Amino acid sequence: MEELNMWLDFPIYASVAILCWLGASGLFLSSGKKKLNQLAAALSFAGTIVLLLFLTVLWLHIQRPPMRTLGETRLWYAVFLSGIGLVSYLRWKYKWLVSYSLGLAIIFLIINLQHPETYDKTLMPALQSPWFIPHVIVYIFAYALLGASSLVALRNLFFAPTEKTINGPIQMADNLVYLGFSFLTLGLLFGALWAKEAWGHYWTWDPKETWAFITWMFYLVYIHYRFRHPAQHKKAMGVLAVAFVVLLICWFGVNYLPSAQNSVHVYSQ
Amino acid sequence: MSKQSNRQTWAHPWSYREGTIITVAILLLGFALQATSSGMVLMVARFPLNLLAGLVFLGALIFLFVFWQKHPAIKWLGSVKAALPAILGFTFMVLLMGFVKQDVAPETALAKLLGLNHLVKTWPFILINLYLMILLGIVTLKRLTPFNLKNAGFFLNHFGLFLVLFSTALGSSDMQRLRMNCYEEQTEWRAVDNSGKVFELPVAIKLLNFNIDEFRPKVTVVDNQTGQVVLNKGKNQFELLDRNSFDLYQYHLEVEQFLDASGKVGESYFQVNEPGAAPSAKVKVTNLADRTEVSGWICSGSYVHQPEALKLNDQHSLVMLPAEPRKFSSELNIQTKSGKNLTTTIEVNRPFKIDGWTIYQLSYNTEMGRWSNLSVLELVRDPWLPVVYLGIFLMMAGAGFLFLYGKPKNGGTEHVA
Repeated sequence: MEELNMWLDFPIYASVAILCWLGASGLFLSSGKKKLNQLAAALSFAGTIVLLLFLTVLWLHIQRPPMRTLGETRLWYAVFLSGIGLVSYLRWKYKWLVSYSLGLAIIFLIINLQHPETYDKTLMPALQSPWFIPHVIVYIFAYALLGASSLVALRNLFFAPTEKTINGPIQMADNLVYLGFSFLTLGLLFGALWAKEAWGHYWTWDPKETWAFITWMFYLVYIHYRFRHPAQHKKAMGVLAVAFVVLLICWFGVNYLPSAQNSVHVYSQ
Repeated sequence: MSKQSNRQTWAHPWSYREGTIITVAILLLGFALQATSSGMVLMVARFPLNLLAGLVFLGALIFLFVFWQKHPAIKWLGSVKAALPAILGFTFMVLLMGFVKQDVAPETALAKLLGLNHLVKTWPFILINLYLMILLGIVTLKRLTPFNLKNAGFFLNHFGLFLVLFSTALGSSDMQRLRMNCYEEQTEWRAVDNSGKVFELPVAIKLLNFNIDEFRPKVTVVDNQTGQVVLNKGKNQFELLDRNSFDLYQYHLEVEQFLDASGKVGESYFQVNEPGAAPSAKVKVTNLADRTEVSGWICSGSYVHQPEALKLNDQHSLVMLPAEPRKFSSELNIQTKSGKNLTTTIEVNRPFKIDGWTIYQLSYNTEMGRWSNLSVLELVRDPWLPVVYLGIFLMMAGAGFLFLYGKPKNGGTEHVA
C-alpha cells in the first residue's frame, strides 16, 4: 500500500467512468426505448460513482481534501456535471443535455489523463480551515450548474428558439442559472468570511477574487436582462454564453494572467 | 426598439439610452477628476465624518424617494433600465482591475495619470460605486412600499448588497491593519502600517513561544549542469519523504534513516536539538535504467548548515528541499490598557479578538524556519465589520431565496429574489 501512487491508478478509474458514460450517451442518443434509457441512466450513475470512489480513495491517501490543484477541481467538476446531467434527465427528460454533460465530463477526465497530476500532500496553513471544503465544493457545484446552462445557451445560439425549446430547455437553463447563481453567491460570501479569519480582511481584490466578482456580475446581468425582457431568448442566450467564458477565465485563465502572479489562491498546476 | 428610437433622448420615460449615457458620463467624469487631481489616491473621511456622510446619504435617498417617488426619473432609477448599464459600468471598472496589476507602482504615464494601479481608490470607482448604491437604495425603497412578504428575497439580495457596498466604502478608512514584530520573551506594543508609520497600541504583547510544525521535506532530482529540476514528464517532480521507499523519475529510493533536526559530524549526520539544526536523510538510490546503486546523505540545509546533495551520476543529483510549514503558532501573553492580562495561542486561521482588535498570526523569520525567534503578527481593527457581516448574512439568506424560488414567475409579481 505504501508505494501505491494514487494517480497511477487514475487511468483505470477514468477509463471505467469514460466507458460507462460513452455507453450511456450512445444509448440515450440512439434509442427511444424506455428500458434502454433506464440502462443508460444506470450506466451514467455508475460512472459518477466510480469517480466518487476514486476521489474518496485519493482523499484518504493524500490526507487532505483533494481540492487544491486544477486537476483535482476538474475531477469534482466531472462528478457534479455528470450528476447534474442525470438529475436533469430524470426531472425533465432531456436526453441531449445529459449526453452533452457526460461529453463535457469526459473531456475533463481526458484533460486529466493528458496531464497526470502531482499528489502533493502539503497544504499551506492558510488553507487548513473548516471553510476550505464548503468554499471549493460550493464553487465547483455552481460552475457545473452554470456549465450545464451554457450548453443550452450554445445549442440555442445556432437554432431559432421555438415554442418547444422556450418552454423546455431554455426554461431549464434559467432554472439552472438561478440555482448556479445562488451557489456562486454563497461561494463568494463563504470566501469573504474565510478570508477575514485567515488574512484579516474579507476582500482584498486579489486577482482571483476580482475575476470571481466579474463572473458574478455577468450572471447578474443575465438575470436582470431576463427579468426585464423575458421574450428576448436569443440575446439572453448570448449573454449566458459570454458569462460562461468569463467563468472559465476565472477558473483556469487567471493562472496565466500577468495581473495574477503571486496570487494567494490560484489553483496550483 | 422602434418605439424607443422615436422618443427624444431625455424625454420620459427614460430607457437604456439614458442609462448608458449617465453611466459613461460618470466614468468619464471620474477619470477626468482623477487626471486633474494628478494621480491622487482617494480616501474616504474618517470617523465621525464618514458616519455623518453616510447618514446624510441615507437621509437624502429616503427624502428623494418619499417626495418624488412618482417622478419618472426616480421611477427610472429603480428600474432594470438604469441598473443594467450601471452594472456593466461597474463590471468595466472591475475588468480593468482584472487585467491591470493592482497595488504596484505604475509603469506607464497613463496608468499613473488615471490611477490604473490602485483603481479602488480612484474617482471613477468611487463615483460608479455611489451611483450603484443610489440605484440599490431606490429600488429597495420601491419594493418596500407597500411592504409585501413576497418581496422578501428581493429585499435580502438588494439591501444586503447595498449594506455591503455602503459599509465597506465608508468603513475603509476606519479600518486599521498593522504589523507587529514580536521577538521571544520581549514585550511589544508598537506596530507599523503599510506605509511604515508607527502606532502605539493599547495592547502590549509578549511572545512566550513560537512554534512550527513542519511537513517532512520533499526531494527532487536536478540536472548537474543546469541545476534545474529534471522534469518528470508531467508526473511528480517532488516526493515527500514520508515513506521508506518510492520511485522518483528513473530512480528507486530507499530511506534508511531520517532525522528531522540534525547536524553534521564528519561524514555523517546526527540528531541534535540546537538552533539551525536541519532535516537530513540517509538514502539508497537505485537507477532503474542500469540497476546501479548510490547511497549517502542529503540535507536541506538551514541558516547554519550548508545543504547537501547526493550525486547520482554524471547527469543527476538528488536534493532535499526545505521543509514546508504544516502549522505555525504563537503563544502570547497579552496585556491591555483596560487591565486585561491573559495568555493565549494564535495560529493561521485562528485569530484572537480583544478590545476591538483581532490578532492574526501572519509570518515569521522564514530564513530561520522552525528556529525563528520572531513572530510577525497582524493587528486589525475594523469597527464597521458588524454592518458588513449583516449585509453578507442578508445576501446569504437572499441566495437561499434564489435557490428556493428561482426565476420570477408571472412577470415578477411573485417571489422576486
